[in-house]
Amino acid sequence: MSALMRNVSANRWEVTLLRYVLTRFAIWIPSVLIVMLAVYALAFYGAGDPIKLIFLRAPGDVAYNPQRIEAIRESAGLNRPFIEQFGLYVWNLLHGQFGNSLTSGRSVWAMVSAAAPVSFKLALCSIILTTIIAIPLGMIAAMNQNSRLDYAILGSALFLWAIPAYVAGPLLMVGLIVLLPGASVPYGWGGIFDVRILLPLVVLSFQPIALIVRQTRAAVIEVLSEDFVRTARAKGVPEIVVALRHILRPVLTPVVTQLGLIMITIVNGAIFVELVFGLPGLGRLTVQALTNSDYPVILAITLIGSFLVMISNLLVDVLYPLLDPRANDARRSR
Amino acid sequence: MSAVPLSPAATQEEAPVSLWRDAWYRLKRNKLAVFGLAVVAILAFTAIFGPYLTPYDYLSQDLQSRNAVPSLQHLFGTDDLGRDVFSRVVFGTRTAFLVAVIVTVIAVLIGTILGAIAGFFGNPFDRVIMWLTDMTMSVPNLLLVVVINASLKSPITKWMEAQYLVTLNPFYRQTIWVDFMLVFGSMALISWPPYARLVRAQVLSIRSRPYITAAQALGLSNWIIMKRYVVPNALGPLIVSVSAGLGTAMVLESAFSFLGVGVNPPTPSWGNMISDGLRVWQHYPHLLAAPAAVLGLASVAFSFLGDGLNDALNPRGAK
Amino acid sequence: MTDRNEGNIAQKAQMSRREALKLGLAAGVGLTVFGMNARIVLADDGQVLKVANPAFNQDWSPLRGGGVPFRWNSIWWASPMYFDSEGKIKPYVFTSWESPDNKVWTFKIDPKAVFSDGSKITSADVKGSWEVASMPNTKSQRADQVLSKVQGYKEIGAGSGNELTGVATPDEGTVIVTLTEADPIFYMRLANHIVPIAKAAQSRGSDGEEVADWYKPDNSAVYSGPFKLISIDIDAGKLVFEPNEKFFGPKPKLSRIEITSIEDNVTATSLIKSGEFNAHTELVTSTIIQDLGPEFSAGPLIPTSQHFWFNISRAPMDDPKVRQALIMAIDRDGLFKASYPDGPHKKADQILNSVPGADNSGFEPYPYDPAAAKKLLAESTYGGPERLPKILFVGISAPAIQAAAQFIAEQWRQNLGITAVDMKPQQDSYAGPDQNAVQIFRDDVGTRVPDAVSYLAGCIASTSSNAQNKLGGYKNDKVDAALAEAATKAVDDPQRIKLAQDAQKAFREDWAFIPWYSQAMSRWATKEVKGMDKNLDWQVVAPWDISIG
Repeated sequence: MSALMRNVSANRWEVTLLRYVLTRFAIWIPSVLIVMLAVYALAFYGAGDPIKLIFLRAPGDVAYNPQRIEAIRESAGLNRPFIEQFGLYVWNLLHGQFGNSLTSGRSVWAMVSAAAPVSFKLALCSIILTTIIAIPLGMIAAMNQNSRLDYAILGSALFLWAIPAYVAGPLLMVGLIVLLPGASVPYGWGGIFDVRILLPLVVLSFQPIALIVRQTRAAVIEVLSEDFVRTARAKGVPEIVVALRHILRPVLTPVVTQLGLIMITIVNGAIFVELVFGLPGLGRLTVQALTNSDYPVILAITLIGSFLVMISNLLVDVLYPLLDPRANDARRSR
Repeated sequence: MSAVPLSPAATQEEAPVSLWRDAWYRLKRNKLAVFGLAVVAILAFTAIFGPYLTPYDYLSQDLQSRNAVPSLQHLFGTDDLGRDVFSRVVFGTRTAFLVAVIVTVIAVLIGTILGAIAGFFGNPFDRVIMWLTDMTMSVPNLLLVVVINASLKSPITKWMEAQYLVTLNPFYRQTIWVDFMLVFGSMALISWPPYARLVRAQVLSIRSRPYITAAQALGLSNWIIMKRYVVPNALGPLIVSVSAGLGTAMVLESAFSFLGVGVNPPTPSWGNMISDGLRVWQHYPHLLAAPAAVLGLASVAFSFLGDGLNDALNPRGAK
Repeated sequence: MTDRNEGNIAQKAQMSRREALKLGLAAGVGLTVFGMNARIVLADDGQVLKVANPAFNQDWSPLRGGGVPFRWNSIWWASPMYFDSEGKIKPYVFTSWESPDNKVWTFKIDPKAVFSDGSKITSADVKGSWEVASMPNTKSQRADQVLSKVQGYKEIGAGSGNELTGVATPDEGTVIVTLTEADPIFYMRLANHIVPIAKAAQSRGSDGEEVADWYKPDNSAVYSGPFKLISIDIDAGKLVFEPNEKFFGPKPKLSRIEITSIEDNVTATSLIKSGEFNAHTELVTSTIIQDLGPEFSAGPLIPTSQHFWFNISRAPMDDPKVRQALIMAIDRDGLFKASYPDGPHKKADQILNSVPGADNSGFEPYPYDPAAAKKLLAESTYGGPERLPKILFVGISAPAIQAAAQFIAEQWRQNLGITAVDMKPQQDSYAGPDQNAVQIFRDDVGTRVPDAVSYLAGCIASTSSNAQNKLGGYKNDKVDAALAEAATKAVDDPQRIKLAQDAQKAFREDWAFIPWYSQAMSRWATKEVKGMDKNLDWQVVAPWDISIG
């Protein structure tokens, strides 16, 4: 990618960028279809049938009437061969139809389009919070390497990494209520400017912060031993300027490459945070869909998850050369 | 430097030369890492020998003393069925370690093999394996684990039952092992990608080293080159990754138990003890505190150890 | 690094620590201020019932006949008749019910009965509501219990046809129902909210199927109950109801009902304790009595009970001695204590409860005799615990059920030496891969009619789904004969009750279940809320009577 960029003029660079992005998309589409096929197959042959589950989950006085259940399954098309059902699903997908939930009859698009923005906003805020807190902390730790401050920051980062979200969440929530008797229970979603987002955001960011602090620290340590830093210091440049102008840029590079990993951490960690704090996001939808064996919703979530990761990896690959023109391939793949 | 010969005593006190002894000395000096190592060692001991040494059987219920507060009789108190929490936490250590170790071993095996192949042989293997890695990482964890779990359940259960009927060996009846095998399988299948990536990156960077070219020029077969030169040199970062991975696997297992996917009751696992404790912690905080603290401690210890190993094996920015 | 630099850096580190502290303090203060402002303001515009709902239900159609939303049906819909909390039937949309032969029933509709837009509730609406609920795609869980004996129902259920041929509507105010066989208690089967009365033209499309989202206010839906749905936001999990001014019954006392989804039970408990919510749809935690007091979950015992059922077609349950041994090895007092030590449910020794005939039924409770149990197990075809196949429990979902199942497993381990016991939450045993393995099902059985025959017909008659699926094709001719004969007797005939008791006694001899508890229908509302009594249909009996304070 960097080679491409180095040798073309501005206009042609934009065209090349477009071609690069489109190529990535084109490669991604068959991949995600294969993944969806695999997931569908596993769910179809392994997990329960969604219609039967509705009746089986009901209390015991509900009669399990095989006749009626067959009638429902027949009209939902669940008796058709697996490949035919998958093919139909993909066909509808290409027309922008995500189908209806087998359990509730609701349009999958409606369910997902209500849940996705919540998760995205949460993830975005978490990334911002992480960047604001973790990068400075990592730099401070590295620049004071092996001092007590370094140990304190490193220790806290490792501690944050170790605490599971589903433990930290409820404990902090109850701790908050106990310590601040005037506070209301931070449960529910009120948008990103509502105060209730604070606690879930903090809990969600624990792991990313820990990760970035360590990454930044390691990267800064590496950079600190470089010649240009020693030169700047020898020239008498104040430490802050050294930090911001000379060190920050090369440090951002490995951090940005971690974006894909962070995205995955957030998407996975968000399930617990959403369950504990009652946020109507994709995590909660996933748990519901899995419990009900609701194929269309499971497939839609797989699609979105994969899309998210693809986009963040794409962003990383596009941004990387902009940040560090000296990038070489071996380092990027680390 | 002058040509004064060093006295034998001074020579002995010099730092040793091999990478591993060197790393060991550096590790010993890192206090956090030593703490981590100590905790991990204690936990490992508990995992292996603990259940034989606990004062109570982790299954026996005493309905007369339920939810009892920690006391001399019950170090961590009792749970809602009167079972000794300390014994259950100890057994949970075994669960956690078993899952963590086996999942990591399987994941590392798969990851190393795939990563080495990808790095060494290049395209098209590289492309395919990297695509597989990306795809596995992009599907949400929980989804994949639940789906794999659900589909592996039947064949594994049937196989275990069949084995029992043939051999009458009670091992196959132990429900614990069936649960474990399901958990191992599904978790290993989502944990291998980072290892594959790591090994691939290491192999790529080593492959371009001169001594590899020399070995190839000398006519050594690819397999021997991989075995003798590539893999040992890639081990450093791999060890770091594994020790961190063990901690992650442990937390992952407890997370899945928390969600109800994974080890079933009455087998104690820190995860399902935590999820039970979370429901009643305002009344019986010890039910949450014990497993959560131990889980946190174990995870932190692995973290410190992994970080210490990293610093020990990759000494950049020396003191 | 030089000493000077180290000093500077140390200073900077110190400063940043101070700054960090300041920031933390500011954040803490900010949080407190925000927290106090963000607290939900308690309504001062009349009495508002604030309900916490334990799930983000995606489907609030009242026609599902079950599920969490079903429990609030009585708020916004009217039913033909209803039962009060003592089990007495009361007229509602129907004012009278009679039949000369228990086969052809004539019902008269209250001429004052109207929907929320003022239009009369007609017999066409009743027929249409019944028909749309019978359609398979409506996925009603319990329409069977109400309409299965009506002519035409079977055909609709099979997917052919969409009309209940047995329902005639000679005029606007009369409904005549012809059954496939005589059923003295048919009128009682209508007295619930399983098939609420809605405007047929709205809920039913021209193809006979349910119209999607017909019940939502944006589709100008009309409601027959004391409250009407004002707004519904399925994704946020919030519903708001306000009084239906045109309601033909007593005027509701509340000014509003709000239902909000709070999935986590611990959070819901905190919110109820703090006063932000005053009711819950279905709150079951092991510390509910300690958290919210005994009045919160108190309620009448209803004819529903929970037990562990043995599948007698699967090993080792196919050997009656094994079953007997397993049951006799359990101390059922301890079982109840392990699961519901403080109530509100009641320990059960038999199936029947809260129906005429439940008391003095002649059912001798299963004894607790570990020594005899051990002997029986040794005498069985398996000869002892080692050769028993692994025993699998399903339905072990809630904490109380887990506690009970683990208690049972431990009793078997101690008293019989059985170690291979497994438990799983899901009930998808016979839809999923474990098809041939599960031997014990935890499930509840019950009836919506205060009648012993209907109670038992739903669980031990060989035609019942419980007998076929969970009991593994259980068929006891004595049971079937007694129940079949009892079904023909009139409601007040003492023979009806006696035959039901005989059937239950015959079932006892098969040792096919572990009795657990009889269910109390908790009110799940704080002390201040009055009028929240519930009935055997899990509904609030008289929503118009709910008041706060």
